[in-house]
Amino acid sequence: MRGTLIFAGSSCPALTGKICENLGMAPADAELSQFSNGETSVRILTSVREKDVFVIQSGSPKINDTIMELLIMISACKGGSANKITAVLPYFPYSRQSKKKSHRGAITARMLANLLGVAGVKHVITVDLHASQMQGFFKCPVDNLHAEPLIARWIRHNVPNWKEAVVVSKNAGGTKRVTSLADALKLNFGMVTTDKKRGSNMTASMIMNHLDGIERQPFLESISNQVRNNSSGPENGTAPADNGQPRASRSVADANGSPRRANGLSARTPSHPRPHSRAQALSQASTLSELDEESEPDGPEYNDQRAHEVTHGRLVQGHIVPDDFPSPATSAADASVIEEDPMAMSHASSFFAQPHALGGSGDAASSDEEDEILKNPKIEHMITLVGDVKNRTVLIVDDMIDKPGSWIAAAETVVKRGFAKRVYCIATHAVFGADCLEQMQACDCIDAIVVTNSYPIREDKARNASKLVVLDLSFLLAEAIRRNHYGESMSPLFLHMGD
Amino acid sequence: MSAEMANEIKLISGRSHPDLSEKIAKRLGIEVARTISLNYSNQETSFTVGESVRDEDVFVMQSTATGDVNEGLMELLIIISACRTASARRITAVIPNFPYARQDKKDKSRAPISARLVANMLQTAGANHIVTVDLHASQVRCCPDPKTRGVANRAAVDNLYAEPSFLRYIRENFTAEDCVIVSPDAGGAKRATSIADHLNTAFALIHKERPRPNVVGRMVLVGNVVDKIAILVDDMADTCGTLVKAAAVLKENGAKSVLALVTHGILSGNAIETLNGSVLEALVVTNTVPLGDKVERCPKLRVIDISPTIAEAIRRTHNGESVSYLFTHAPV
Repeated sequence: MRGTLIFAGSSCPALTGKICENLGMAPADAELSQFSNGETSVRILTSVREKDVFVIQSGSPKINDTIMELLIMISACKGGSANKITAVLPYFPYSRQSKKKSHRGAITARMLANLLGVAGVKHVITVDLHASQMQGFFKCPVDNLHAEPLIARWIRHNVPNWKEAVVVSKNAGGTKRVTSLADALKLNFGMVTTDKKRGSNMTASMIMNHLDGIERQPFLESISNQVRNNSSGPENGTAPADNGQPRASRSVADANGSPRRANGLSARTPSHPRPHSRAQALSQASTLSELDEESEPDGPEYNDQRAHEVTHGRLVQGHIVPDDFPSPATSAADASVIEEDPMAMSHASSFFAQPHALGGSGDAASSDEEDEILKNPKIEHMITLVGDVKNRTVLIVDDMIDKPGSWIAAAETVVKRGFAKRVYCIATHAVFGADCLEQMQACDCIDAIVVTNSYPIREDKARNASKLVVLDLSFLLAEAIRRNHYGESMSPLFLHMGD
Repeated sequence: MSAEMANEIKLISGRSHPDLSEKIAKRLGIEVARTISLNYSNQETSFTVGESVRDEDVFVMQSTATGDVNEGLMELLIIISACRTASARRITAVIPNFPYARQDKKDKSRAPISARLVANMLQTAGANHIVTVDLHASQVRCCPDPKTRGVANRAAVDNLYAEPSFLRYIRENFTAEDCVIVSPDAGGAKRATSIADHLNTAFALIHKERPRPNVVGRMVLVGNVVDKIAILVDDMADTCGTLVKAAAVLKENGAKSVLALVTHGILSGNAIETLNGSVLEALVVTNTVPLGDKVERCPKLRVIDISPTIAEAIRRTHNGESVSYLFTHAPV
């Protein structure tokens, strides 16, 4: 392309090479090194005057060095009178810190967006931002590309019997991403959610309550009752059990607007994210969506179905255990003591603030913190699977794989509890912190790990991981660069092709 | 009680130099604020302030440790951003050793002016004020001061000097008449003459050719050092190649002994080994940069505590007093 220069950051020479190959050009010359005191040194070895400059930089284990290098490269190009500088960030660093998670935490992603602006960026191209609202952090235009069409295509071509597969989200926050893929492939979807177990007696009664249906209502469960009545009653005609609180029930319904799928998801009471009420609401949602497609509103069968679709499991040290496994936390009192122990909650957000003080736990961004807690041997979790996966292929989908805990827990749940046939773990960004890839490779319940090359994967790690499948993003990025340069529309890149 | 009264100094320390932060806090008679700073498994930095900074006068202390410059800088930016989000009234970045200070001019085609970039980044993150010690070159000094104030508005820069501390060190340890102050390069001549003037001693200069950064070419001495204690004065000692060569040149020219006074002891690479094998009698640095175990590894290394100067600057900045007193006096 005339008048275009593509610079490769040191994090992703391979990806840049492929992108340039796609565009039929060579990466521009730049010398990237470090001074002996660790400061980054950048030398741009070719004229950039009045050129359309693209700087490609992904993440790396030395993420802060990578960011500084990117900023200095951009600054150098700006100082060298480049016409327009576009940052191509297949993986946007710090994208998980996109909101104030605790009191006085930093919104680092926004700061980074501002820093890019200060350095001289006029346009940003990125892939699958952790939170798409982040586009609002930038003053310049942002193209947030989706890897979903690529992933959907791979599924259609490579997953045997994919039409029978179920797409599963491993936490509540990721449900949107999952439903999007499920819609594109016209598949059913399910969800796995993890809760800290609050005392064994209580949980048992909750499960009983679930399986027995609506008739048995211990008066303690009035909150869940409202939610359930609200979401199930008006929709499908099951008689709402009148528990003497019609006023409260109605007010919830009003606040939520139309009680359809969205209602089911949002109907959980924010201050008491109890496992049973959430699961109940969600089972409702998934069943409803199924009903919409199959149109078999058969009353009694539907109730049976619902009972089958919610599956519980016990999670100790990040693994599913049998029902008779001795409980590590014997009483509710013990559990509450642990909750206040700062060492048990090593993450910053839960150190000072109460865990649920700001924002709920059912949040995509908090999956990492949940991961930390999952590893604690003293805390038992209840893991809930919503949706029928028996003898089906399960596609567990999220935007990035960093820590293995929640993936392994979800995979074990769908296999050991839901009796799924095969499990694919699918994500866009293969961050693979620490020994994540090794652990996922070692997990018997995971059959394949499907990622893209947005984040560089270490060669030696990838070679030992037979389950790993890496999809190539370079065509998507190259096309985005080309369309950007020529001023063409980006929209075709978001479409699912029917091949 | 007006709102002014509630406004207090909050000293927040980054992870690079907790030792200096403690010393400053002690001078100020306050505690370093409780914070949590950690790295995720993919090395992204996460930071939380443990106490309220709402409407407080926040000072963020962060030096840059050798080899971890970018890590420290990103952490500093995140801390400033966190304080800004947490409604601090004013945020002052206290950076004794300003990172990328040497990349301060477009000396080659398309060379990045990283020092200016860093200054702009600090302002973007939310810093109102920057306090630093002995910025490398006059360009930077005037870059954030009058020029950058135009470019990126608001943030003012206070550049403190280690010179008063050095003057006291020389007066306490030597007789001024026996000394000659030597600048190891033409760029540092101003600093050296200033010290020489204050001590009323002789001054010499070494001219050097520097083909590339951290590589030293030929050296020529201008001035007389025969039978004198030659005191090399510079702003930073990185790989120490320059200092050691200069010391050798001074010895060859008849100096009785050679020592060096340097503000920032970055001492990267194999600086310690270079120093140990050199004719330098002593290298005196301030503690602007965390030295770690270097003091144990190098018997020639002496450290002057700079924390009184920084603490006093913080106090004066907070109270709205003049900082210029510190340009000529070192608080005891």
